[in-house]
Amino acid sequence: MATGLKASMITVYRLLAFVLFLLLWWVISLVVGENLIPTPLSTLSAAQYLIGDGRIAQPLLSSLGVYCSGYALAVVVGIPIGMLMGGIRDLGRTLDIYVNALMATPRVAFIPLIILFLGLGPEAKIAVVFLGAVIPILIGTYSGILNSDAELIEMARSMGATRSQIYWRIMLPGALSFVVMGLRIGATIGLINTVVAELYTAASGLGGLLALYGNTFQMARYFVVVLALALIGGLVSQGLRMLENWASRWRVTTAGN
Amino acid sequence: MNPAPPVVVSGVSKTFQRARDRSPVEALKDVSLNLRANTFVTLLGPSGCGKTTLLRMINGLIKPDSGQVLVFGEPPKPGPRIGFVFQSFRLIPWLTVRNNVGFGLSLQGVDQGEKNDRVEYYLKLVGLSRFADVYPHELSGGMKQRAALARALVTEPEILLMDEPFASLDAQVRELMQMEMMRLWSERKSIVLFVTHSVDEAVIMADQIVLMGPRPGRIVETIDVTLPRPRWDAEIRMRRDFVELRGYLWNRIREMVMRDPSSDFYTGESDSI
Repeated sequence: MATGLKASMITVYRLLAFVLFLLLWWVISLVVGENLIPTPLSTLSAAQYLIGDGRIAQPLLSSLGVYCSGYALAVVVGIPIGMLMGGIRDLGRTLDIYVNALMATPRVAFIPLIILFLGLGPEAKIAVVFLGAVIPILIGTYSGILNSDAELIEMARSMGATRSQIYWRIMLPGALSFVVMGLRIGATIGLINTVVAELYTAASGLGGLLALYGNTFQMARYFVVVLALALIGGLVSQGLRMLENWASRWRVTTAGN
Repeated sequence: MNPAPPVVVSGVSKTFQRARDRSPVEALKDVSLNLRANTFVTLLGPSGCGKTTLLRMINGLIKPDSGQVLVFGEPPKPGPRIGFVFQSFRLIPWLTVRNNVGFGLSLQGVDQGEKNDRVEYYLKLVGLSRFADVYPHELSGGMKQRAALARALVTEPEILLMDEPFASLDAQVRELMQMEMMRLWSERKSIVLFVTHSVDEAVIMADQIVLMGPRPGRIVETIDVTLPRPRWDAEIRMRRDFVELRGYLWNRIREMVMRDPSSDFYTGESDSI
């Protein structure tokens, strides 16, 4: 009851914050000048135009296609490699310094190389997204397994569990929250890399529109694209938060979303 | 001729290296111990006397450096015949109580129907049927340890090893759990080897008390307890033989602690410096 009331209060506060944000945006656009920062209203009418005209639908789909393919590929590759590195200790010890080095390298540095091999088309863009997302997913899975609870492992051993039973029943399920954390970081970097790829290879998708409208000072339309990207980011992170809640459903649920 | 006892520990030594400075610690030195069938044995002694090491050795989790441990005539292997209950409960947090209790059976690949029946039976035995479908974090300490106990009992082990199982419970719950444990044991006897720091607990539960001393870990004395069972009346603690045994054990432990240079209560009267 009390928590339900509190949750609805938070919703009210959020709406208030949104109104405040719009107000602030509007004031800034008036102060700075509408040609640099469009008002919320002119952005809205630009959005109506772009959506009605169908001019944003195709780039949106193209960006989502690149993003989803690259991310899916990163999940399919990153989780199993992380599982292998966590399961076979010597393999993990051998590879983890390289993985960490790759994590610390700005992976957009590889874009020229990728263009060289894959050209400027969707394959190259997917590769850039993949490269951004795969490392955090891999590291999340790997470190989740490394962090498994030694006491639970000993308990399972005392009951006669085999190594593979310990891996599948204790280590891997225990790593789930780390895997989901890796998925979240990967999703964020993947979205960034989608836009970067679209800017640096053949301009297309939402990134392409950003460049087009930005370079030609069509700021209201430019803002529509930025907001579309923010919306995608918000939806993805909300979805992954739901996954996270599901993965930790056995924990005490004190905090709402 | 008598058959060999089910558990035979003969001349066992074990040395560990400290993680800090790699210096050796003699956890156990020349320990010999036989456990007879259906006896409740408590291992009593101050910290650092190798009680837990001995327990883990009988389970087969670690091997002795020298000497021999035989369980049912063979070197022990962890498995369903030897149950283990830990101080820290060690329930799997993402499994419900029911699945925690069934964990050992699912490791063995016992079929679903039989598994469900046995889990149901042991949940009922420890009084947790109503909590079968909750997760461990929703349970109190006493309930968690009941669940862990049911998990150990569900494979119907012939030996039950308990490593200070009630040490993290509050005093009242602890005494209730002692009664509960005695009830369970009287319903289905097995060898229980029960590690404890508490003199009271050691006396009230045991058929036999094995008193251990620290640095190196060794057996100092073995005492048979002849107090009548059942012992769940409060009067038992007022019996003269209970009080005397308790007092005797207390003095022995205090002596050992005072003479141990690495304890906080070392008085330095010995010539070992």
